[in-house]
Amino acid sequence: MFSLTRRLSFGLRYTNVPSRRNESNSKKLRGPAAQDVSYFRSVLTRPSHGVLDGTASHDVKDEIDKKYNTDWTRHYKGSSDLVLRPQTTWEVSSILKYCNENHIGVTTQGGNTGLCGGATPISNEVVLSMEYMNRIYKLDEYSGVMTCDAGCILQSLHDYAEEKGFLFPLDIGSKGTCQIGGNVSTNAGGHHFFRFGGMHGTVVGMEVVLADGRVLRLNIDNSEDGNNERTHQFQQSSASLRKDNTGYDLKQLFIGGEGTLGIVTKVAVACPALPTSKNVALLVCNSYNDVLQILKTSKEELGEILSAIELIDSNTMNFIQKYGAGNGDHLMTELLSSETTSKQPLFILVETQGCNQESDFSKMDSFLTSLYESSTIENGFLAQDSKQIEEIWGLREACNPSVAQAGYVHKFDVSIGIESYMEVAEEVSDALKKSNLPDLTVCCWGHVADGNAHINIISGKFDGDVNEAEAIENIVYSSVMKRKGSISAEHGIGQSKRKYIGQTKDEAVLELMSQVKNLFDPNFILNPGKYLP
Amino acid sequence: MRKILVPIKRVIDYAQKIRVDSSKGPQGVQLKNVKMSMNPFCEIAVEEAIQLKEKNKGAEVVAISVGPKQCTETIRTALAMGADRGIHIETKPDVRGDYVDLQPWAIASLLKGVVEKEDAVDLVLLGKQSIDSDCGQTGPLLAGLLNAPQATFAANIERGDDGSFTVERETDTGTETIKLNACGKPAVITCDLRLNTPRYPTMPNIMKAKKKPVNTISLEDMVKELGLDLDEVLTPQNEVVEVYEPPPRKEGETVGSIDELLGKLKEKGLVA
Repeated sequence: MFSLTRRLSFGLRYTNVPSRRNESNSKKLRGPAAQDVSYFRSVLTRPSHGVLDGTASHDVKDEIDKKYNTDWTRHYKGSSDLVLRPQTTWEVSSILKYCNENHIGVTTQGGNTGLCGGATPISNEVVLSMEYMNRIYKLDEYSGVMTCDAGCILQSLHDYAEEKGFLFPLDIGSKGTCQIGGNVSTNAGGHHFFRFGGMHGTVVGMEVVLADGRVLRLNIDNSEDGNNERTHQFQQSSASLRKDNTGYDLKQLFIGGEGTLGIVTKVAVACPALPTSKNVALLVCNSYNDVLQILKTSKEELGEILSAIELIDSNTMNFIQKYGAGNGDHLMTELLSSETTSKQPLFILVETQGCNQESDFSKMDSFLTSLYESSTIENGFLAQDSKQIEEIWGLREACNPSVAQAGYVHKFDVSIGIESYMEVAEEVSDALKKSNLPDLTVCCWGHVADGNAHINIISGKFDGDVNEAEAIENIVYSSVMKRKGSISAEHGIGQSKRKYIGQTKDEAVLELMSQVKNLFDPNFILNPGKYLP
Repeated sequence: MRKILVPIKRVIDYAQKIRVDSSKGPQGVQLKNVKMSMNPFCEIAVEEAIQLKEKNKGAEVVAISVGPKQCTETIRTALAMGADRGIHIETKPDVRGDYVDLQPWAIASLLKGVVEKEDAVDLVLLGKQSIDSDCGQTGPLLAGLLNAPQATFAANIERGDDGSFTVERETDTGTETIKLNACGKPAVITCDLRLNTPRYPTMPNIMKAKKKPVNTISLEDMVKELGLDLDEVLTPQNEVVEVYEPPPRKEGETVGSIDELLGKLKEKGLVA
């Protein structure tokens, strides 16, 4: 794609040399043919729903193009002609075994809400959609471990857990559409990463299908699996235990593996008890120094009940006002009319979750009072009921969709030391002004307590000029790299960040990752063209 | 304008799922560690009172609530929105405000006494109903006891220079406009959803609210002061026999084809 060789001051280099052995292996793959489609029809229990054959009709091809070949950001377009939608693990296993023997590339897709093109086929691979594998098996009321299919939509898991008095520990803006299998495969972070930790800790078990069709059951209960007559073929399983130190923890490879080592078909996630008391406040402050003070004070005053701290900058808030607020119009008006010394105030969402309304409220009250009296904040809006809580979170969740409507978005998701969080956005903004790139707005929002910034650069034009994209990437990544940050905090690698992994990891690490890939998927059928450089 | 009295109620938050607790008897409901908030219609009433105060300098907004000690928090929220002072009629912790113990008649009787004691009350603004008991009776009963003009389900309120109130009222068939003439009695208006969007308590106002006075008086003392009968107030007019959850929705069946669907419908005798 990029045919320039340009060395930047600290070693980032673009080349067009396909590195490693991965490219040559994936060149041996082929797309599906008519006889393959017949085979797939024979292994699916509901072939009429389970097989979408794009070669059969224009309508089906259209559906495939719109729903499966295009990603959420509309940056990536694949050309798959075949979508398979299995309902059971056995079907997934049969499909993969066949594809492995016949060197047919397979791209696994969940809710298709990823932001790096990881779930979009790069050419005509088979799309394996998990959408019909959506059963919730159980939630153990003592351990809080919930066992379910990988195709369950995240919101449905939240609802189910809430009914039983538990909270699903992952919460992200796309929860109405994304599936837990995709969340696990991308090690999604989300709003509550700060409080509950990431998937590497909360996922206690999983069922994975390997490229050759073998099914691995890693600390997961299979007693509710509807395919009992097939289970004698599969390995032993165990009930989902909270602790089990017998052997290498293989499931960690699949968490964040983006479907390149195996397909996750079931997960067991440990859910904490549902906190009964929630408080949310939206704070307005003048500078990032004030934000740092808020972070410190929150740890002192809110301590164990603090569950989320999110930052939204002025540019983003202005786009939300223009394109996104909807129900939050009232709040938006009050918010933007707050008197601030700075012309570019910063907005901080603070959430607490605990189990005692009175003591939580009193902590929140003394926290806000302390910030206000020390002039750390110019203003604060305290939600007084659930409706206002939803409204405030609604603003945070409107960040992504709002900027998407404002123009062409160059999306970045970076990790930096908390102290330097806003420096990258500011430095990038200055550099862009000095370069001859016109009409760009730098927006910054994100999980500030995790040091995770979503930097989105909005261009007035809709055409996505490649040279402009490259120049912007240069500027952003050099700013991140010189602070020893990460170029992908939580969004993953997919297609969009592949080329950087080669340049930002040690040789030994790259070698080992390549060997692991070879071990799990020697024919390179799983998600070809993604993840590894 | 002189005083606006806003009775507010602390209820289980509207987003909270109510769970029946049969271990506490046939009327038992899970109340421990359950999120409580100001009744949404009461919030709207407070907001309207403050907007009227902003248009009529010199008006005083008084928030009043009947309930356990945690009601002071609810009153503080009203103060943080802009009310001037609060009155808390404190009940013993186990007295239930959701119709099982306290009912609209008792509340209306107490409010009548407060209105007369306060004197100079031009307007009483209430929520049209509370979301726990859903009665919608307190406003109309109060108006009846005071022999005062009333308008319920207000979607818009305008105050005339002569002290009258013109109220647009929601009905099933459309909007009705009623004028409450100034007559020496306070106007009693209950508020509906479309009236306004309640503001957020903001830091400057939250800080000011801490200094505003809240007068707490026990239910027993208030009843005595107003010359009412405690038994009459605490004995509900209606007895709640049982509280139960609606039967769970039965799981649906998925079918694989139109033919199968037709077969099932025929089986159940829903289609010939």
